[in-house]
Amino acid sequence: MSTAAHASAGAAESTPFPSAKLGIWWFLASEIMVFGGLIVSYLLFRMAGPGWSAELHHNSTLLGTVNTLVLLTSSFTMVEVHRAHGRGEEAKFRLHLALTILLGLVFLAIKGAEYTAHIREGLVPAKSMFWAFYFGMTGLHGLHVLGGIVANACLYAVAARPGGVARYGHRAEMNGLYWHFVDVVWIFLFPLLYLG
Amino acid sequence: MKESGAHGSPYLLIWIYLVVLALASVAASIVLPKVPAELAIYFLALVKAALVAMYFMHLKVERFFIHSLSLIPLALVLVLFLGVLQDVVFNR
Repeated sequence: MSTAAHASAGAAESTPFPSAKLGIWWFLASEIMVFGGLIVSYLLFRMAGPGWSAELHHNSTLLGTVNTLVLLTSSFTMVEVHRAHGRGEEAKFRLHLALTILLGLVFLAIKGAEYTAHIREGLVPAKSMFWAFYFGMTGLHGLHVLGGIVANACLYAVAARPGGVARYGHRAEMNGLYWHFVDVVWIFLFPLLYLG
Repeated sequence: MKESGAHGSPYLLIWIYLVVLALASVAASIVLPKVPAELAIYFLALVKAALVAMYFMHLKVERFFIHSLSLIPLALVLVLFLGVLQDVVFNR
């Protein structure tokens, strides 16, 4: 074994976390800064200027609540994917992963319907600061949901192969961490944009 | 988190809590006056986020380093908020 390989093996042995897990947590730390900065800016603008509550009431509380329940349920199915891998339940792994993807698509479909209704009413980002924040924050969040769906679809594709769950199932933990983070972001966006 | 049985999922209870808290925040926004409603819905959002992070993201059983990776950016966001807050408050 070369010196570099020895050094690499030594580093891997001395690291108490799997590299992928460490990597996803570093990534999530940067994501906390991105969404945290946006949410803090929204709160400060809202505190500085009156009239935001009136704008907020254009949003459908019903659709926002349904989407919240959809995303919370998808987090449950995602954590069940991870649990199924730990228990060696391949069919359950694939079923819950498919349900997570489906729920993500339902979330995006509802968000798309909301966007369509807003744009038809003339409620576009240029209308006011509230709508700029609304489309900015929910749009960025929606892109993250789409990214999670793609990652989960890739995992499903490899898990569907014979022996795929045993070989690639550990990736469900990384996908899950990302998916739950996206859920946490929505947990804050929902009261900020629909209820507050 | 402990397994609740051979077939029952330990995460089901957390999901039920999350759904109940989500519906409670909607009810609070409708029933309560403006200021108590806002306090209630943001408090409930914090509880929901903590449940997801602790149980679904397994932070409850993670080591200090992983905790610090999530808490340091949150602290920096808080610094950003408090730093700009005085400008908002004093320049109204």
